[in-house]
Amino acid sequence: MAEPGDLGLPGEGVRGEGSHLWRGPTWQVPPEASTHLCGCGTAGGTGDTIFALSSAPGRCGVAVIRASGPGSAGLLRSLTGTPGPPPPRVLALRRIRDPRSAETLDRGLVVWFPGPNSFTGEDCAELHVHGGPAVVSGVLQALGRLPGLRPAEPGEFTRRAFAHGKLDLTAAEGLRDLIAAETEAQRRQALRQMEGDLGRLYQRWSHALTQALAHLEAYIDFSEDDNVEEEVLARVAVTVRALLQEIRGHLRDGRRGELLRGGVRAVIAGPPNVGKSSLLNLLCRRPAAIVSPSAGTTRDVLEVALDIGGYPLLLSDTAGLRRAADPVEREGVRRARERLCQADLVLAVLDATSVSPTPAALGAALAALEPPPGTPCVLVLNKADLLGGPRGATPAQGPPATLLSCKTGEGLEALLELLAQQLAQLCGDPLSGWPSLTQSRHSRHLGACAAALGRFGDLGDSGDLALAAEQLRLARRELGRITGHVGAEDVLDIIFRDFCVGK
Amino acid sequence: MFLRGGCRRLPLLPAPRPGHRRAGSEAGAAAAPRYEVVVIGGGHAGTEAAAAAARGGACTLLLTHRIGTIGEMSCNPSFGGIGKGHLMREVDALDGLCGRLCDRSGVHYKVLNRCKGPAVWGLRAQIDRGLYKENMQKEILNTPLLTVREASVEDLLLKEPEPGRPGKCQVAGVVLGDGSTVRAGSVILTTGTFLRGMIYIGLEMHPAGRLGDQPAIGLAHTLEKLGFAVGRLKTGTPPRLAKDTIDFGGLEERAADNPPVPFSFLSEAVWIKPEDQLSCYLTRTNLKAQQIIRNNLHLNNHIRETTRGPRYCPSLESKVLRFPDREHQVWLEPEGLDSNIIYPQGMSMTLPPELQEQVVKSIPGLEKAKMLQPGYGVQYDFLDPRQLTTSLESRLVQRLFFAGQINGTTGYEEAAAQGVIAGINACLRVQGRPPFTVSRTEGYVGVLIDDLTTLGTTEPYRMFTSRVEFRMALRPDNADARLTHRGFEEAGCVSQQRYEQAVKMRAALEDGIATLKSIQFSISKWSQLLPGVPISNSRRSPVSAFEVLQYQDANMEILAKAIPEPLGKLAQWRELAERLKIEAAYEWCVVNQQQEMEEVRRDEALQLPDDLDYFAIDASLSAEVREKLAANRPQTIGAVSRIPGITPAAIVNLLRFVKTNHQKTEKLKAVPQSGKYFPGKMYSDKATSQRQISAEFSEEEARFVKTPL
Repeated sequence: MAEPGDLGLPGEGVRGEGSHLWRGPTWQVPPEASTHLCGCGTAGGTGDTIFALSSAPGRCGVAVIRASGPGSAGLLRSLTGTPGPPPPRVLALRRIRDPRSAETLDRGLVVWFPGPNSFTGEDCAELHVHGGPAVVSGVLQALGRLPGLRPAEPGEFTRRAFAHGKLDLTAAEGLRDLIAAETEAQRRQALRQMEGDLGRLYQRWSHALTQALAHLEAYIDFSEDDNVEEEVLARVAVTVRALLQEIRGHLRDGRRGELLRGGVRAVIAGPPNVGKSSLLNLLCRRPAAIVSPSAGTTRDVLEVALDIGGYPLLLSDTAGLRRAADPVEREGVRRARERLCQADLVLAVLDATSVSPTPAALGAALAALEPPPGTPCVLVLNKADLLGGPRGATPAQGPPATLLSCKTGEGLEALLELLAQQLAQLCGDPLSGWPSLTQSRHSRHLGACAAALGRFGDLGDSGDLALAAEQLRLARRELGRITGHVGAEDVLDIIFRDFCVGK
Repeated sequence: MFLRGGCRRLPLLPAPRPGHRRAGSEAGAAAAPRYEVVVIGGGHAGTEAAAAAARGGACTLLLTHRIGTIGEMSCNPSFGGIGKGHLMREVDALDGLCGRLCDRSGVHYKVLNRCKGPAVWGLRAQIDRGLYKENMQKEILNTPLLTVREASVEDLLLKEPEPGRPGKCQVAGVVLGDGSTVRAGSVILTTGTFLRGMIYIGLEMHPAGRLGDQPAIGLAHTLEKLGFAVGRLKTGTPPRLAKDTIDFGGLEERAADNPPVPFSFLSEAVWIKPEDQLSCYLTRTNLKAQQIIRNNLHLNNHIRETTRGPRYCPSLESKVLRFPDREHQVWLEPEGLDSNIIYPQGMSMTLPPELQEQVVKSIPGLEKAKMLQPGYGVQYDFLDPRQLTTSLESRLVQRLFFAGQINGTTGYEEAAAQGVIAGINACLRVQGRPPFTVSRTEGYVGVLIDDLTTLGTTEPYRMFTSRVEFRMALRPDNADARLTHRGFEEAGCVSQQRYEQAVKMRAALEDGIATLKSIQFSISKWSQLLPGVPISNSRRSPVSAFEVLQYQDANMEILAKAIPEPLGKLAQWRELAERLKIEAAYEWCVVNQQQEMEEVRRDEALQLPDDLDYFAIDASLSAEVREKLAANRPQTIGAVSRIPGITPAAIVNLLRFVKTNHQKTEKLKAVPQSGKYFPGKMYSDKATSQRQISAEFSEEEARFVKTPL
């Protein structure tokens, strides 16, 4: 993204001679920044390259991500690290990597459809990847970072197909779903996101930006003949500055996406000898940690990466929390506490035989571990096999809890389900089903909006107002991709409401 | 002057006498004269339409109530302004009249928005009314192939429709006030506010199109009978004041530009010496005026009437009612070099005359002003422009075109721009050639006509730059590059001389940009060469001269001083040097809009059949969407997407329906790229647009178009 710092800012220099008050823009944009501005791609060609998840939203075995446009061959090269695309229309197994970090995102099938023999008539590529949210989100985000690629707008694949005379194909029944996925589903999903706080926030931004734009447009169209005062410009600048700050802050706050990319840091904590390391071994299905019947076996922090229900989890086993006499163990406990403080999720392990299953007792036992306030916790009551007799149900109140026997594996299913729920809550709104799909679009448009607002700020009030207004129009268009289009008439409505203009 | 090939006459018809003014009603019914194009109305739309049709090679007849009123500026004594100046440049690029005539008639030339950037410069001039009229009449009465005749038009001659096109009938000529007929290949209606025009002063009202001129009532009936949807609009004009009774002493003066900037690409300079120009003066209303207006609302029919006025404030009454307790600007504008009349812009009123006089006298500088003529309001019929195609031909009656205020617009420039397009198309229609339309990506006139024909209007439509999506590309400086080539090649309405001039300029611009781009130095080298131009260090080195030209402190003159070879000769051509500077400043924005412009063009190339019955078609469309489509009758998918409330899903479903249902009869054909030039093209060789595939739909079962009423 073009940060304002990238933009060369010629300072106030000597005024041009003659009667020409206009002196050209006060800012320059480096050519390399330009491709990011409209989300448009390589100059020339038939247009930019679009991509979207084409399979039904929701968790599934295989997810299909489709791309169309001149950059399709390039994206296959970038993501698979091969010099060229695979042979046309043949499935090829490839390691799919994030071109920036070279980190492997998945192993999946890729297909290359050179135009015009493709669905849209343009060069197309398909990536068939595993259907977990982390994988899909990872691939979508990697695609979004490639130059010239952008998420498709609703109905865009179909529009392109039509433009290339391919729409008759859509008469085939199977493709109807695809159109629905591109339009209705995305729209519904966007709507769902638009309700609630986020929607209200975007709407407020939209109104503020439209008003700022309208006032600037009024200054351009009317100030010479009518009563549109100079102060209008200053007010617009203030509004835009505030808006820019808010949007930038909002973009930085994308913690959910970050969790999905980087993995949720879960820490196994608990008193010594309750089976914390056994839990780690059970979850990663290998003896990663040394386990022994002696308390205080684990001294250092041990970390393994896991995939639970499609969500990435970085699981740490820590030393049992107690006052230790041994200096090595004391260091282990210190590290355990440190790790606990950074946790996104705490797996508190207790000995089921030594704590009564009442909310009060469980709460007290958990509090004794001093988990960081506000961090979600899951209580794992281990050694269930030793309980004997009928199993008492875990209490409904308090933190979610589950009975488990690391020895027999009993209760593992329930624990995994509980973990997946927690992860879904941490990584995204489970109600919206597929947060990454719309969120990556949103953050992209918001990012472009903020970049345009930043350039507006750099223009100050001495340069070319038409160019400044263009930045607000650009910002407005980007925001409009999320909140809905605002046409010239809406802008004129505000102008005529706020100013006495006309003759 | 614009003489081109012979008059393409339709067979078996008596030859008119081109270029000769006919008087009275000499034509008998037996041998009704026949013209290829007949234009009704001699206002700003009518004159441009008639001249454009004649330039295109059609034998043209202009019918007007009075030849003496041709070129009359009925309202303000000025042309141009912000947005309007853009339209004039485009009219001029198509070889229209108003720009050239204003360069010969102005008394005060001023470029508005000078410090806001060349994309929004507003070329404007105070015009000497008498001089303009004289120049326009001279022009019109001497245009080859154009005949002018005084007559009122009472009715239209109609015949069976041409098969294969929408429309329930076809216009074949006009019936004049004396009962005689004139036959015509195409007819253009440019009757302005004269359709059932009604003038309001206070509580008085009387039928008239303009003070002292008769309204057109017979035609209004005819159009109504044919089923045209008609709406009513209102507008107004201020009182006129005697210059020698105004005290300009304490008022703010606005001097004209020196040197003045001409409107026309053909004009080297304007006719008047810079120092001979007249000034305008600014004064302001105060609370006294507000008081008079508020106390007398009961005496003001025009303001109380419910006819839709604009959202903006056309009259002083609406200003003080909607924005009370503040001063309102009044510009005192000269009406001519020798005229004693002052036009107080911003004071349009419909109060009874004696009260208007009180308002006038309450204003600083006007305490002793004598009112020569009271202000008045006009209410008039306009045709819902959604009944027109983008060539301004009506869907209901074939070969009948509409242009100007009758389509719901306000302003001379808006009228003139439509006039040129209607004139060109009426001519092309007779010649059996494809219509000439301007895309939203090519010109303000394209935006104007697309807005009108797609969205209609509920207030007098006025051009604003804020209506234009591609404002960075559609600038006053490059109107010739956008339209002159097309006008010459596709419409035949541009003279050889103008065409050659535009070709020369375009080549020079392309060469100049290429030269500037080829000169590349490191940033440190540039700092040595141009110490006054601080080039950002964050730029990638090397930097081209074209990039350097973007900087506010850089211009061709400075560059040429530093690098005389090869830039010296570029800087010497002043107009070229200025245009290169502007091209450099906007390059980045224009290039970035390419993608979006392509999208708009692509959607505009997707034609919808004219005969779709949106209520009957079996497509997944909501009732609300169907209603909107039926009311707006969009011609292209691009137009559909601009109708408020139409969802992407509805667009896709409509496409599916149209495509599958017209499959059998449909031919896929490559539509010629409408714009030979589009802004930005010269920046990138790769930006050549692909040929657009568009579905052209068979009109085998042409049905009558439903009229939205």
